[in-house]
Amino acid sequence: MKFSRTLAVAALAAMALTSCAPPTSNNAASSVDESTGTLRVWLFSEVNQAPKSAVVDATVKEFEAAHKDVKVDVQYIPVDTRAEKFKAAFNDPSSAPDVAEFGNTDLASYVAAGGLSDLTGDIKGWDEGKDLDPKVLATTAIDGKNYGVPWFVGVRALYYRTDILKAAGVAVPKTMAEIETAARTVRAANPDMLGISVGGKAQFSALPFLWAHGGSIATAKGGTFTAELDSAKSRAGITAYTNLMKDDICPPATCAEFGGNASVQQFIAGKAAMTIGGDFNYKAVSESAFKDSFAVVPVPGVTAGSIAPAFAGGNNLGVFTSSKRHTLSADFVKALASKKSQQAMFDAMGNLPTFTDVQKSVAEKNPQVAPFIATIAAGTNFVPITDTWSTIDAKGTFTGMYQQIVTGKADVDTASKDASDAMNKIFAAK
Amino acid sequence: MTTLKVSQPGSVTPRRRAKERKSRKGWGSNAVGLLIAAFVAFPLYWMLLSALKPKTALDAGDSTPWTLTPSFDSFARVLSVNNFGQYFLNSVIVALSVVVLSTVLAFLAAVALTRYNFKMRTKLLIIILVAQMVPIEALTIPLFFLFKGFGEAIPAVGLNHLGSLILVHVGFSIPFAIWMLRGFVAAVPIELEEAAKLDGASSFRFVRSVLFPLVAPGVVACSVFSFISTWNDFLFAKTFIISAQENSTMPMALLTFFKPDQNDWGAIMAGSVIMTIPVLIFFIAVQRKLVSGLAGAVKG
Amino acid sequence: MALQVPVATASATPAPDRPAQSRPKKKGRGWAGRLEHWLYLAPALIVLIALLGYPLYQLINMSLYDYRQAQVSGKAPLNFTGLENYRILVSDPEFWTVLGNTVVFATACVVFTLLVGGALAVFATRLRPWVRTTLFAVSLGAWATPAVTGSAVWLFLFDSTQGLVNKVLAGIGLSGFSDFSWTYEKWTAFGLVASEVVWCSFPFVMVTVYAGIQAIPTEVVEAARLDGASMPRIFTNIMLPMLRPIVMIVTIQSIIWNFKIFSQIYIMTNGGGIAGQNMVLNVYSYQQAFAASLYGLGSALGVIMTVLLMVITLVYLRLLKRSGEVL
Repeated sequence: MKFSRTLAVAALAAMALTSCAPPTSNNAASSVDESTGTLRVWLFSEVNQAPKSAVVDATVKEFEAAHKDVKVDVQYIPVDTRAEKFKAAFNDPSSAPDVAEFGNTDLASYVAAGGLSDLTGDIKGWDEGKDLDPKVLATTAIDGKNYGVPWFVGVRALYYRTDILKAAGVAVPKTMAEIETAARTVRAANPDMLGISVGGKAQFSALPFLWAHGGSIATAKGGTFTAELDSAKSRAGITAYTNLMKDDICPPATCAEFGGNASVQQFIAGKAAMTIGGDFNYKAVSESAFKDSFAVVPVPGVTAGSIAPAFAGGNNLGVFTSSKRHTLSADFVKALASKKSQQAMFDAMGNLPTFTDVQKSVAEKNPQVAPFIATIAAGTNFVPITDTWSTIDAKGTFTGMYQQIVTGKADVDTASKDASDAMNKIFAAK
Repeated sequence: MTTLKVSQPGSVTPRRRAKERKSRKGWGSNAVGLLIAAFVAFPLYWMLLSALKPKTALDAGDSTPWTLTPSFDSFARVLSVNNFGQYFLNSVIVALSVVVLSTVLAFLAAVALTRYNFKMRTKLLIIILVAQMVPIEALTIPLFFLFKGFGEAIPAVGLNHLGSLILVHVGFSIPFAIWMLRGFVAAVPIELEEAAKLDGASSFRFVRSVLFPLVAPGVVACSVFSFISTWNDFLFAKTFIISAQENSTMPMALLTFFKPDQNDWGAIMAGSVIMTIPVLIFFIAVQRKLVSGLAGAVKG
Repeated sequence: MALQVPVATASATPAPDRPAQSRPKKKGRGWAGRLEHWLYLAPALIVLIALLGYPLYQLINMSLYDYRQAQVSGKAPLNFTGLENYRILVSDPEFWTVLGNTVVFATACVVFTLLVGGALAVFATRLRPWVRTTLFAVSLGAWATPAVTGSAVWLFLFDSTQGLVNKVLAGIGLSGFSDFSWTYEKWTAFGLVASEVVWCSFPFVMVTVYAGIQAIPTEVVEAARLDGASMPRIFTNIMLPMLRPIVMIVTIQSIIWNFKIFSQIYIMTNGGGIAGQNMVLNVYSYQQAFAASLYGLGSALGVIMTVLLMVITLVYLRLLKRSGEVL
């Protein structure tokens, strides 16, 4: 059509004439380091906001009292808006905060975008810093530099129904293999129940199985990552998990699409004898109809007495590169992440602390978190800390692999090889 | 919607007779109509029900279609969101502004594109249609920088201000509104315009006093559409309002209850109920207002 | 009054003959007429050029670069890569599968939305006022429900073990449904999402078509009825032609929206279904590009999607042109 030709010519002409590059902003590190003024802080809003606000307000008050002419302005943002808000903050430094709370899995992409400041020096110079759980602190490190201070950590453990297991004559699983046999026995005795409710999409439940068998997602070699899902150990770990999603334990038709929360919900609804749930699920389970007939143990490892490495979820506190008050921000981070504050956060919200000594004391005073603390103490693990991981995660390569195996679309060897190849392509594209 | 029918010109008697004829035979259709309405309403009922169920029931995935222990806790949680009233007010301001601006601009443009024939007309119509085809997510980065630039010149329409939300939604509502109103403007007979000209009315007077009221049904549909799409927008609310939380809109209040893997479904449902009610109110208001407008047109 | 003029002439002027093209044949507008339409157009055009024209230009621009968050924030330099993004997309077999999914899914949604909305619009004209208002009110509620909420409610109603639908079906004897997962198989999942989409989209069609029916002078319909024509006949020969412009716009709108569906699929199939079997283009675009801040790739997908929609719409318009409707 004639008009489309004229239009195309006009468009090309316009582009040639202007030859503008796509818009960019300048998010360079700020050169000033003021010590007074208003400190802008972004924290995540909670469904139950009041306890968190109380703890934060107390910290703010103390901080303002200790620093002259400084005001702290805390804003609570919904977790679901963090992607847009952080990107907007990187693109428009005038709207950016000085300090922010963020998920530890988001750290790599924020650093790649040049948005977070290097806090290694601040942590080293912090007297409480040496007590930070080293594995948890490692989740904030890229190329040896720490870009955040871990604020709280969350791990998963094995929840089980004491009454159901007892009735079926099954002992509490002490090894990973026993989880499978116990689940099978329980379902045989109770055909309406899931032996254990796990999901094809519940990647953080799958990881302990992968890691307990000595497998890993990827290893870092000289600056890049290489996927390891197709190694023999990884395959053993993948098989151990996918064996749980068979008709005699957790039928694929039901379980292939479950994420972490969906599988826990089955447990809360009384439809599963076991599940892998987080410390953050404890409250909901303890308010369910089965509050008196459940217990929690760490996910056992391959050998008796060992604990499978858990995924260390959690949030960090960081400072924006665009901040005009770096020192002040780092001080506020230290105040909010201090042992005192973390203890208060545990009391208020149940957030597990990131200091080894605080973890111990919390476990002693609160027996219900003991299994989770034991899991952390046994050593946690993490996903590859690179911004390409967020690409892989967004594409669902890792969970897709599990789903393919569980639904019978591919066997373990093929699926793990395909997933490794796909991941390597993305790791290399950096 | 009955009220719109009243606008139809013509003698009253044959219509009344026809109406009586209809209502005497209508029982079957009306029953079916109610059944369909019940079917359509069921998910809405479920939404309300979930908002009233106690939290423990929702966490357990309880699926009984009723609750013997309704609780307003979920609503309390939603209403106690910090700044909730402000968010609600902001949404109302943005949505109403968008409706007014986009309807006026689109109506004038539709008139121009329908009742006049000029060379660029078809091309413009096509371009406007194509403009709607672009997926919005892909446009957020350029729009972000555009409004950042606007903000430097006119703060009120820049980032972190309601003006940016109003402007961006006007921009996205106009193409659809133009095409929609075009259909209605095209359906008005040319003879009317000639008659008005014979009576000595200026072209603009015709457009304002005769044409606009006649396309009122289309204006209703358009304004409801703009209202709903602006009211329910999450994307621009998240992208444009960054640090000035006091300028956030209702969806932000709802998003507070979405936590990956730990959504508070009761509050989400309660929030959705609260969000849906103003739309219904808007619809009823617009519908009534139109009656007086139409009655005036008929009399004139 | 002046309004009675069309009554006599309307029946003499069959609808398809009233397209705008006949207008210029009448006496021209002369003097201010030549500029008048630009005056009316100007405000809308200015807004559109600024808010849609510029971003559209940038969309094409961004698709030619390796453009990610690092570049946007100014941390990494811009890298012009030409058509590389397009090459990556086109050579990915998953892209073609997703495209196929989208076409089939969107077509089904459009067809059913139009059928349901159109049928209910006509049906609504025969209802008593209060029944009609009820129907319209609940339909409006369905339309106004945020996509997130509607999807969540439908998903829960169709949950495999706890959903009401399965419980009812099992209760009436279809025991195969007692733990049937609607989202496990690819096409039942699409069917479920399509149902939700039709539920929240038909009100728009119904309201618009009803408004169009309202705009038809009753005299015309009355005259035909007095002449003895049956309701279906009146509908096809008189109402439908008059509704053409409206049906056309409603169809095109439906095509455009359903092609771009995101939230419903994302929520109801948990991010694109098991191993991505339920992905449609907008979800694919989000997962492959925007979730990982690969804006260049996402823009290329946006351009491809726009071009596809353009082609589909132009084909549809051509078909219409052939059957008499003119722009």
